[in-house]
Amino acid sequence: MRVGDIATGRAGDKGNMLDLTLVARDEAAYAVLSRVLTADAARTALNRVIPGPVQRYEIPGLRALKYVAPEALAGGVYATLRPGLHWQKSAIWLLLDMDIDAG
Amino acid sequence: MNTTDKNRKPICSIGAGAGFAGDRIDPAVSLAASGLVDTVALECLAERTLVPAIKARLENPQAGFDPRLRRRLTPLLPVALANRCRIVSNLGAANPRAAGKAIIKLAAELGCRSPRVAAVHGDDVLHLSGQIAWVRPVEGKLLGAHAYLGAGVLANALDNGADVVVTGRVADSALFAAPAFGHLDPGPDALAGALTVGHLLECGGQLSGGNYDPIGQGLLPAADYARLGYPLAHVYADGTAEIALLDGAPGLLNADTCTLQLFYEVHDPSRYATPDLILDFTGIRFEQIGHNRVRMSGARSLGPPPTLKVAGFLELPGFIADCEIGFSGTAAMARAQRAAETLRLRLSDWRDEDIAIDLVGIDSILRAGSLPSRAPPAELRVHVSARCVDLEMAQIIEDEIYALTLSGPAGGCSVRSERRPRIEVLDGFIAHDLVRPEIEWSQS
Repeated sequence: MRVGDIATGRAGDKGNMLDLTLVARDEAAYAVLSRVLTADAARTALNRVIPGPVQRYEIPGLRALKYVAPEALAGGVYATLRPGLHWQKSAIWLLLDMDIDAG
Repeated sequence: MNTTDKNRKPICSIGAGAGFAGDRIDPAVSLAASGLVDTVALECLAERTLVPAIKARLENPQAGFDPRLRRRLTPLLPVALANRCRIVSNLGAANPRAAGKAIIKLAAELGCRSPRVAAVHGDDVLHLSGQIAWVRPVEGKLLGAHAYLGAGVLANALDNGADVVVTGRVADSALFAAPAFGHLDPGPDALAGALTVGHLLECGGQLSGGNYDPIGQGLLPAADYARLGYPLAHVYADGTAEIALLDGAPGLLNADTCTLQLFYEVHDPSRYATPDLILDFTGIRFEQIGHNRVRMSGARSLGPPPTLKVAGFLELPGFIADCEIGFSGTAAMARAQRAAETLRLRLSDWRDEDIAIDLVGIDSILRAGSLPSRAPPAELRVHVSARCVDLEMAQIIEDEIYALTLSGPAGGCSVRSERRPRIEVLDGFIAHDLVRPEIEWSQS
């Protein structure tokens, strides 16, 4: 199962920071994601693409998990060597496309 | 209209007219024409957009506001004035006073009644750069330094009869919270609610179905994206609000779209700093109360921040060259991969951190995180970006790409390149009392 089967999400950025928000479909999906998608698990997935630590924030009342990578975008979005600007809006798929075990 | 608040009246109703400088023109016009909002707020100033504005003002003291001012306000101003709908925007960029004069002139040309325009300035703190605590040392040329103003001065302008408030760098939340600011219940949580509404509205269509991938429901029809409705909020005195789309407007507004926007570009959700208050979003509730209609409650204040945030703009020497060459037809992928290998050999003396060579259509965006390609693509582009210290280095990169059309794998085509200035944004903090926003009134 993909994370994206049970959650939606959006990527944002501010300065060097990349921030990724997941909103789980329901309480059960939130329970799965909060157990499986730890800060370490997210960091392993994200560090293939962006550097640095990843912090996780839990907002159970809104079934949301936030993953923040404060050093991900060195120099800000305009310093990127990717084609065009704002590649990081796609970065949420690094989490949405993760395979997880719901069992 | 109200399904749950029949006995309460909102203190104000705000439309989200634009979420960035280049945003669509028509949503603000629809909101102003609806008669349902007393204010449309338009967020039109990205950090990046301030840089060309600062440079334009240096060349011409009457320039430095958003060059889209006429295109944006020509359809909006007459409709807004006719519907008693006020306009608040940061499209004044680096020169709100000149923007105010341009709006007066435009109103006269359009034959509108003469609006009362308030230009709010004082965000420019470059002259105080020695008193700004930067998060790291200033490297390169400091082009500008702008403090984020709060909602108070904008509210002052509105409450003194402004039809249009035009400003420069203000917190996006403040831009949208200003109409409510002076009319809330006492106590900081009510203001926290109004600022949270501001934060939700500041990206326009991103609250109402834009940049949203609903779980298992597929995309909206193109006709809906093409006419996407932008949200409006009815704000109550206690800082709660009802967020909605105009009846019949395409889009999706639900608890998920609101939650995604609530946490967008937020670091710690329990401590989101704005110039007016530090906000705690962790107790927020979104309740669907109708079609494309959500009630928001639960915002909390953690008190005012100790300092104001400043955005500093650094210009570093050189450019980023961003170039591509295409390949199409049978074995496009093999030819593109061979072209990329060729470039790696030709450009092997560049430091890895200063150059990127990849394939658009395969791995240029998510790099190692890209999904495997499941079928041979019909066409691909080889992309190269490089940090170049001067024009000559940028030209060398561009020439290397172009040379592949003669000396590389067959069919290299459709070459394009651009050069981007190397701008960095440097965060800093400044004492509240050093920043003194002022209002300049004008009316013809």
